[in-house]
Amino acid sequence: MRTKNFARVVSLSLALYGGAALAVDDAIKVPAGFSVTVVQEGLGAGRHLAVAANGDIYLAGRDGLVAMRDTNGDGKVDQTAKFGDVQGTGVLIHGDWLYVSDDVGVYRYPLKKGELAPSGARQTVVSGFPKERQHADKTFALDPQGTLYVNIGAPSNSCQQKDRQEGSLGQSPCPILEKYGGVWVFDGNKLNQAPADGRRFATGMRNAVALEWNSSQNALYSVIHGRDSIDTLFPALYNAQDNATRQAEEFHKIVDGGDYGWPYTFFDTKLGKRVVAPEYGGDAKKSPESGKYPNPLVAFPAHWAPNDLLFYSGKNFPAQYQDGAFIAFHGSWNRAPEPQAGYKVVFQPMKDGKPSGEYQVFADGFAGDMADNSPRNARYRPVGLAVGPDGSLYVADSQKGRIWRIQYTGK
Amino acid sequence: MRFTAFVVAAAAVLAAACATAADPLPPADPAPAAAAPPADTRPPGQRLYARHCLSCHQSDGGGVPNMQPPIVGGSWVRGDPKALALFVMTGGFGSEERKDSAVSNVMPPFRQLPDEDLAVILSYIREKFGGGASAVSASEVAAARADLK
Repeated sequence: MRTKNFARVVSLSLALYGGAALAVDDAIKVPAGFSVTVVQEGLGAGRHLAVAANGDIYLAGRDGLVAMRDTNGDGKVDQTAKFGDVQGTGVLIHGDWLYVSDDVGVYRYPLKKGELAPSGARQTVVSGFPKERQHADKTFALDPQGTLYVNIGAPSNSCQQKDRQEGSLGQSPCPILEKYGGVWVFDGNKLNQAPADGRRFATGMRNAVALEWNSSQNALYSVIHGRDSIDTLFPALYNAQDNATRQAEEFHKIVDGGDYGWPYTFFDTKLGKRVVAPEYGGDAKKSPESGKYPNPLVAFPAHWAPNDLLFYSGKNFPAQYQDGAFIAFHGSWNRAPEPQAGYKVVFQPMKDGKPSGEYQVFADGFAGDMADNSPRNARYRPVGLAVGPDGSLYVADSQKGRIWRIQYTGK
Repeated sequence: MRFTAFVVAAAAVLAAACATAADPLPPADPAPAAAAPPADTRPPGQRLYARHCLSCHQSDGGGVPNMQPPIVGGSWVRGDPKALALFVMTGGFGSEERKDSAVSNVMPPFRQLPDEDLAVILSYIREKFGGGASAVSASEVAAARADLK
């Protein structure tokens, strides 16, 4: 089966490039001076990606892991290899190891000099997370010391007694927070850890898929998925337009012991403040106890679905991008019947770890026309970000498994 | 093409909202209000589907990949009306029976809705997504509901 898949991917690669010039993707709109090329496609349901110091690209996805190499440095991938047996979302390079994750664990493969697909055996760093259906992807970050930060998303919308059921009140205190809805730390260099070996680092995070170590600040950051369905669950308080627009996707610096407010509160973009969730006595305007939960650094629009975060420290982009944050927004479903939104890569200028200006749409045009306002019909959906050794920004897609490379050319 | 119609409709709704200054959109369910909100002229089936079903199953019934399943063209909307009524009232017979489902989100039960509203919704999804399958009456929903007790 794996051999067959490999053959299919290689033939796509040849069909795409076949000795022709680089495939420029004009559909993806970027600021003046940047160019977008298609590096590879047809890789299935892509998720996060990582680029090694030698330029090799590693994609994690629901269809497995893929390694790609440009052997002659002409900017085109000419070796594509499926490898391993992990179907999941997370992938990071740390030292001589390729760390990957699925819904129940974090693993690593040795990266040996010259090797594209790792030949060494997979090691288990931590495994045994309960198999869940909602918010199950165990995305992760590693700090320079090898501390492993794992996002354990809450298998719930808002910790209602009956999940996603109209009028059902919140469980108080929310028992889900004991094992989910936060970031847990493990030793990234220790093998065969169990979930119980981890320590809860931060809580009140519904699903922190976009979790990233910021080297310039020596701190952890995340853009957290906000809640759904305030209108259908509490129609006396909120209407469809409220639901489509009010619950922020919250960008936070994640500190040890931090509590970011889920499920008891959400940040309301209309009121510009944090409010008590309707499941917990909220009336669409009531504030929680002052100072209990931090306000987000940036409140991004509801339902945009932040699925990856990256702090830019490459050498290719102009100075204004240094230390700023790129965020891949996978795009909404829960805004319907209002028009869907997101489906873009956003740049948030940062200085000293804090926002230093308004966010800017950096790359757009992924979704195409999106017939019937349905996410199913999005042409592409950006889901993963990585920076190459030359400073290029790579973007992965979940619809068809396309990978783009965005370079600053000044033209 | 349907998307174009949707955008026009959405724009009309937004324009209506703007015309009433800061007032929120009218709730989907008719509610007494001091100042009468603009009348919701959508057919009852479309209106109730939008209120209870659309955000998950989407306007075209196609669902959301990995999140909520499609209903368009499926056997539930084309098949026995009573089975469909039971499915919707129980949220797919409860999550326990659907542990192996490939999608993330569990359907909530809708037994809190009155027979008349359920009949309108079921008739709408059978007509629109079930290839014009027959309408469902409130008494058929009531008969199905009796089986739940």
